Amino acid sequence: MLPTLDNAASLKFFAPEMLLTAGAIAVFLLDLVVPRHARRVGILAGVSLAFLAAATMATWFSVRASYEVDGQLFTAAQQPVALFHGLIVHDPWAVLFKYFSFGVTALAILIAAPSLEVAKERMGEYCALLLAIAVGMSLMASSTDMLMMVIGVELVSMVSYALAGFRKAHRQSAEAALKYVVYGGVASGMMLFGMSYLYGLLGTTNVVGAASAMDAYGERVFKHLLQTGTPGAGQLAMVVAIVLILAGIGYKIASVPWHMWCPDVYEGAPTPFTAFLSVGPKAAGFALAVRILYGALSESGGQDLAVVVKDVPWPQVIGVIAAITMTVGNFAALNQTNLKRMLAYSSIAHAGYLLMGVAAASATGSQSVAIYLIVYLFMNLGAFLVVGTVARLSGSESIFEYRGLSARAPFVAVAFAIFLFSLTGLPPLAGFVGKFHLFKALIDRGEAWHVVLAIIGLLNSAVSLYYYARIVKAMFLDKPVSEDPLPVPPSYGFLLGFFVLAVVVFGVYFDGLRQIAETHMRIFGHS
Amino acid sequence: MDILGSLRELVLASGEHGEHAAPLAVQAVKSAGYLWLIPFFPLLGSAINAALGLRIQRRYGRKWCSHLAIGAMVASFLVAVVALVDMLGQPAERRYLVDHLWNMLTAGDVQVNLSFALDPLSMVMTLIITFVGALIHVYSQGYMADDPSYWRFFCYLNLFVFSMLLLVMGDNFVLMFFGWEGVGLCSYLLIGFWYTDLEKAKAGVKAFVTNRFGDFGFVLGLFLLFWALGGGWVTKQGVTPEHESRWALADPGYQPKAKDGTFYEADRALTPASPPATYDEVAKLGTPSGWSQGPAVAVRGGVRVGPTLSFRELRDQIAVESTGVRQRLTSMTVLGVPVLALIAILLFVGATAKSAQLPLHVWLPDAMAGPTPVSALIHAATMVTAGVYLVARLNFIYALSPAAMTVVAVTGAVTAAFAATIGFVQNDIKKVLAYSTVSQLGFMFIGVGVGAYWAGIYHLLTHAFFKACLFLGSGSVILGCHHEQDMRKMGGLKKYMPLTAKTYWYACVAIAGFPIANGFFSKDEILWKAFTAGDNLLDPAIGKAIWLLGWLTALGTSFYMWRSYYMTFTGEYRGAGHGHGTFEAPAPGHAPPAAAAAHKLLPRLATHSLGAAHAGTFDQDVAMASVQVAGAGGGHAAAHGHSDAHGHPGGPPQESPRSMTWVLITLAVGCGATVLLGLFAPLGIVPPLEHWLSPSLLPAEALVHSRLSPDAGNHGLEWLLIGASVGVAFGGWLLARAFYKDAKSAVPVRLAASYPRLHRTVFNKYYVDELYQRTVLAASMVFARACSAFDRVVVDGVVNGAAAVGRFLCNIDGAIDKHLVDGAVNLFADATLRAGKQLRRVQSGRIQHYLYAALAGALVVVGINLLLR
Repeated sequence: MLPTLDNAASLKFFAPEMLLTAGAIAVFLLDLVVPRHARRVGILAGVSLAFLAAATMATWFSVRASYEVDGQLFTAAQQPVALFHGLIVHDPWAVLFKYFSFGVTALAILIAAPSLEVAKERMGEYCALLLAIAVGMSLMASSTDMLMMVIGVELVSMVSYALAGFRKAHRQSAEAALKYVVYGGVASGMMLFGMSYLYGLLGTTNVVGAASAMDAYGERVFKHLLQTGTPGAGQLAMVVAIVLILAGIGYKIASVPWHMWCPDVYEGAPTPFTAFLSVGPKAAGFALAVRILYGALSESGGQDLAVVVKDVPWPQVIGVIAAITMTVGNFAALNQTNLKRMLAYSSIAHAGYLLMGVAAASATGSQSVAIYLIVYLFMNLGAFLVVGTVARLSGSESIFEYRGLSARAPFVAVAFAIFLFSLTGLPPLAGFVGKFHLFKALIDRGEAWHVVLAIIGLLNSAVSLYYYARIVKAMFLDKPVSEDPLPVPPSYGFLLGFFVLAVVVFGVYFDGLRQIAETHMRIFGHS
Repeated sequence: MDILGSLRELVLASGEHGEHAAPLAVQAVKSAGYLWLIPFFPLLGSAINAALGLRIQRRYGRKWCSHLAIGAMVASFLVAVVALVDMLGQPAERRYLVDHLWNMLTAGDVQVNLSFALDPLSMVMTLIITFVGALIHVYSQGYMADDPSYWRFFCYLNLFVFSMLLLVMGDNFVLMFFGWEGVGLCSYLLIGFWYTDLEKAKAGVKAFVTNRFGDFGFVLGLFLLFWALGGGWVTKQGVTPEHESRWALADPGYQPKAKDGTFYEADRALTPASPPATYDEVAKLGTPSGWSQGPAVAVRGGVRVGPTLSFRELRDQIAVESTGVRQRLTSMTVLGVPVLALIAILLFVGATAKSAQLPLHVWLPDAMAGPTPVSALIHAATMVTAGVYLVARLNFIYALSPAAMTVVAVTGAVTAAFAATIGFVQNDIKKVLAYSTVSQLGFMFIGVGVGAYWAGIYHLLTHAFFKACLFLGSGSVILGCHHEQDMRKMGGLKKYMPLTAKTYWYACVAIAGFPIANGFFSKDEILWKAFTAGDNLLDPAIGKAIWLLGWLTALGTSFYMWRSYYMTFTGEYRGAGHGHGTFEAPAPGHAPPAAAAAHKLLPRLATHSLGAAHAGTFDQDVAMASVQVAGAGGGHAAAHGHSDAHGHPGGPPQESPRSMTWVLITLAVGCGATVLLGLFAPLGIVPPLEHWLSPSLLPAEALVHSRLSPDAGNHGLEWLLIGASVGVAFGGWLLARAFYKDAKSAVPVRLAASYPRLHRTVFNKYYVDELYQRTVLAASMVFARACSAFDRVVVDGVVNGAAAVGRFLCNIDGAIDKHLVDGAVNLFADATLRAGKQLRRVQSGRIQHYLYAALAGALVVVGINLLLR
């Protein structure tokens, strides 16, 4: 059982979130004070980054901070600890995703600073909202109570609605925001509905130890079946509850059939925020999914394998969803000519790949999810950054703008090609390493359906090469759309270089990623 | 002091053959964290030149491109020397330096580490590669001085050296294979360096494709070896994240070691020796209940037993008898064939391609299309010896299979003789050297094939020096003669290029086997070891036969090398742009058309017909002494489009720049100095190199208890054979001198004319290229056409049929979805794109549809849940 701390004792572990909340407020206030001069954007972004850095430091310290249970001292690194009477948990898995969230938020701010889509005078607003999302993502990754989960998801969603509609004068942006609000509202509703069922069935909102409670519940249903000859509604209620919770998560990670908001919102939202949206909330969603499915809805079966609770065959269900998600994402991407839309479908497909790791229902499977998310962070942000760079001048995200890009901006073109090949999963780039771990986790389980799912994943990778390579072809083989060199802001050049370096280095040195994932593979004492 | 002591021990090593009988132990290792620097410097140089080379060349001048590359080579060589000193400081049995960087891959039983290892064998290779490589880099400065893609050349050269170092220093098969493929790639890039010339580009492709055949064998052999050791790709049951746990299960005494370097430091010989267990017992131990029949990994006799890709672990498993691996491997068969022989022969197939042995030798002569320094570095000194290195590295596997040894040795002997005869009649100076290389590689394979691994490696070393010297000398000649490669248009160059002539002469002395240069010692040791091979081969008589063939080849070698020397350097200059031609105008009808001359100079793929073109070149060859000078000039210029861009002025030949002659002299001195390494062989004292290599080479006697031939100790017989070798060296020299000196003798022409058919066959390299053209290429073309026809008739039929059915269905479905009806569904790609379009239509943009889909989707997922339960 997890040691549980009361509110006061929990605060020092909660410092990162508190710091970010303070940061969001501070940046809002600063926005009013800082005059409109050239360095305004720099100041606001700098303060936000400083708060993120502080939060990262606080996370680092919180892992090493000690707490006392029954007169004995522990640190959170030794033993995960539940905070606030069990509302959230402080375990390595959450810590990994806190680092991840803060990092991706910082990158989103860096990308937004030179962007023309985020107006200079509204930079403070943008940064403050992003900081709030970071708090939300951190809560999503660490909550163990269903209410807390809803708060995390809602915090991320609500602020995202605002940011998706950030370009007020832009018709598409407004449409995107509106669709996002309606869709998100319904999806949250479904999730809450499922949670209310689950609460009714189990009598608790806390998911720690839910597996055994559900097993006990299954026994009762089974007895009922023996006595009356009919299974009754109990079984169906359980399945519906779980599926509706899955719907909420599926909406966050944009998996079929809860993906439909994704292309429209990605297309309409300002590009820096789209880049963020495609990585940050998706990762938080996966952190939550692994926590609920692998952490709560299964028990340790030794050798880091999950034994799934009765009546809810979630690995198989996730497997089916994964196969459909990647297929739909890839096939829909084939015909897209708008790069942001194409990347939206591509990100749906990648959610499908990631779900393969969840479907493996093992420690290595969950690790492979973490590895892939880290890799995905670099290659996907890089790809969106290129889209932002090109759209900065032309204002268009059409593939036709990319014709002959290699002549106009050779570095950008080469970097984009590297990101795209990495997204396809070609060695020796990081994308290959990520996919390799996903496939390996799946094949290691060794049942027929695991292998079939892996094969579907492979075929999908082949399909995805078509639309990724189409861009590469346009960039390198087609005649330039204009002769003028494409201006690249220095900070974009630097960021692109950083992403390329990361993608190449992790493609060759992949033991580091595995070790990171391995050391953070502890979910509230599970396994 | 330690180092001095080891040096003395190295030089004064005396006959201690008896010591090998001691039981073999695990290889002790020493961690050396700097080894990665050796391949890193060339990689860095290559990367910088690749990224910034053009900019450097434009802004700061081309010399900085080459200085960068040479600097990388020198740095790499210096680190290698540091490693040598480090190694000399160790006792002989501990001379195994390891640098473990990180684990690259762990999947199932496949565990691949990025780690480098140096033992005496790879140390020798590393020194050759970095030293000769550095010299050739220096030489290239002068040779490539006028090339517009200067930076690209040095980028490739450095990349090649990096790959080669990866090949020899990788401590496992995977790294070796990376290097193996890397050098293949660089070879391809460099042969086709002047890619605008179609013939050269084709030669590159030919080399690449031929090597793929070999690689196929290599990979098959590797898989077979892995399988034979009990390996599998994945563990079927459950997730097994760590090998450690399985070893622990198999052996309670096993202590998981820390990661990284400490693992190697631990002296695993200290683990208490377990009682001998058969492999099958170990396998059972390693398979705890509940696991399916997975592969087993256990620890026995201080050695991890089981599938491995690491050379050292493989060596330990085979060397230590109590592991039972040796017994298992030798008794195992697959389809009735001993698995060990199959593994060894498949790996040797890879070696034949890389080292240009019959029947995969065809690419090497064509590879001469590349710049001459490339020919020297890649196609003579280093890359082509990779096959020899592979066999020597895996000596403990080959030693267990006399059948495989016989295959290796016989292939080597036949190739040596075969290539030498072709060398008799070639007129392109680089072609002569190319066939000579093939022939000498054959000698090396005789050496490693009869169990004289050290002699094979020694010949590799001596060959690296004298052949590099010959190639670079020929490059100097070619440059001096304004990109002329035809020896009939040279002559008398001694006068113009004295330094080149002297070094070429000494290298000829070395390769021809005169006892005043290194080639004699290595070749003779190989032949003597072949003569006394004994049980290392299937039958001792085979060894005698190989000796005879090798001896005759040595005669031929001496002849064709001196032929090339006399044709090139003596007599009068017959080249273009020189005032006083002393030769008569050609006989009427023999005036070579420009096209034929161009055809002759260039490597060709076997793409031309056998008819007129060959007759033309043949006639021209007969009329060798009376070549038409003026006519050929045009063809030459046309063929070497690049040469005019170089800006060499016409006129008499000139000596090459200092940077080139200096390298030639260094190499020639090396030809003499390396005599020391094998000097004592005929005197019955262990030569220093043999002593040095002995820790890397497991003696066959200890592995399979084989006997050498009773002649092995017969020094009288050895001196007799040495005398015979020296005799043929002189014989070949005198013959060549009589025929070709000063181009006075008419005998060669007469001989060629009196046996036209034979001459034509040999001149056209026994029509091997044409044979491939008619068989392999033709067969693959037939197959391709068949596939195409199958595609047209059957696949298209099916697809069209499906399309027809689809169209029919669509017609029915048309009212619901008119979009499906419109298109013709006749290709899969189309169908894919269409599916994409359909999906796009689902995405209507209407939020209410999205919400219906979300709720309906949830319902479907509930259904799936219930279905799957």
